[in-house]
Amino acid sequence: MSHDHRHDPAKDEGPPSEHEILSRALQELLEEKGVLTAEQVRKRMELFEAEFPQRGARVIAHAWANPAFMKRLLADGKAACAESGLDLEADRLIAVENTPRVHNVIVCTLCSCYPRALLGMPPTWYKSENYRRRVVREPRAVLREFGTVIPDDVSIRVHDSNADMRYVVVPMRPKGTEGWDEEQLASILTRDTLVGVALPKV
Amino acid sequence: MTPSATPSAYTPAPERRFNVGDCVRVRSAHPPGHRRTPAYIRGKKGEIERVCGRFPNPEELAYGFDGEPRRVLYRVRFRQSDVWPAYESPSEDFVEMEIYEHWLEPA
Amino acid sequence: MNRNPADIGGEAAGPIDTVDHGMKFWEKQANALRNTLTSGKVVRLDELRRAAEELGDRYYRLGYFERTTEAVRNLLLEKGLFTRSELEGKIKEIRGRYDS
Repeated sequence: MSHDHRHDPAKDEGPPSEHEILSRALQELLEEKGVLTAEQVRKRMELFEAEFPQRGARVIAHAWANPAFMKRLLADGKAACAESGLDLEADRLIAVENTPRVHNVIVCTLCSCYPRALLGMPPTWYKSENYRRRVVREPRAVLREFGTVIPDDVSIRVHDSNADMRYVVVPMRPKGTEGWDEEQLASILTRDTLVGVALPKV
Repeated sequence: MTPSATPSAYTPAPERRFNVGDCVRVRSAHPPGHRRTPAYIRGKKGEIERVCGRFPNPEELAYGFDGEPRRVLYRVRFRQSDVWPAYESPSEDFVEMEIYEHWLEPA
Repeated sequence: MNRNPADIGGEAAGPIDTVDHGMKFWEKQANALRNTLTSGKVVRLDELRRAAEELGDRYYRLGYFERTTEAVRNLLLEKGLFTRSELEGKIKEIRGRYDS
């Protein structure tokens, strides 16, 4: 029986690295042992690629447009998403709200916990050792490296996702978005604004 | 409804030791093995920000045990000026994280 | 005293590479593999984290997906889902496909 993936041309440039070969070997061995199927892995890849990354902006845009939903989102993120038909799978979600006095930023110092089922894969900088080392200790300096300056009278809350909760930032809705529909609102809610290293720009 | 079936961020923890607003200190222990209490927060004083509920103990799950009985998990808020010597900021900043009850003592 | 190489919050460090370099195809596949294993409850996320921490000094020498792939390998060997010789045989077989 031949499987498609064994005849796929290499999708990355150059010869495969030792770890690429290892990863492929692990998967094929597990398929042979009946632990999983290539189709299951392919489906997960699809979810991460196509489905998860677009959810966060839609949920937050909906919260901006609908104050009652915002309240429910801030009270219990996972339940609010379930209400919108979004199964966050294992993730439990806490939405933290930016206000004129408070700015929130997310990290996982111990590994790379991130609300993947809401935002997709974390960016490389989020997983980097230097972000994990520094943002809990000097958030203002780190945010400046991202080009984000938080005013002096605004307090910063850094959330270290070290256990069972996952976090998403609810940015403040900027001026100039009055009357926008949810699709327009979602368009300014970039991934970086939902992690807290950027502010939405009109 | 079992906790895992409830679509919520929280599960009930009526038998918990701490409540929102309580001052707590993170234990200064340094046991080997898998822990989810970062080294930088051990020994620091903070305040219970919310009760997340009861979850299987990750320190046990990491080694193939079922993590039962569940432990109470809290969100604890710390003033950055209490965590880092010479923390400088124009305003009062905070670092917040989840800490399991067995890592906390009253402050 | 810090025995866990992952426990790095608060350490001094240099500038952050703020560009998102995305993921190579093999990394997306490695991620999907890991995710299939955890959602299928073959392994727990906590076990994977522990396996990554047990890499010790290697932790700092590996890239993110290299680390997670080695952690998956070590954990699956620990659980006896396959033997080291079966894995080595499979690796050799795959290398053979690229060499031909």
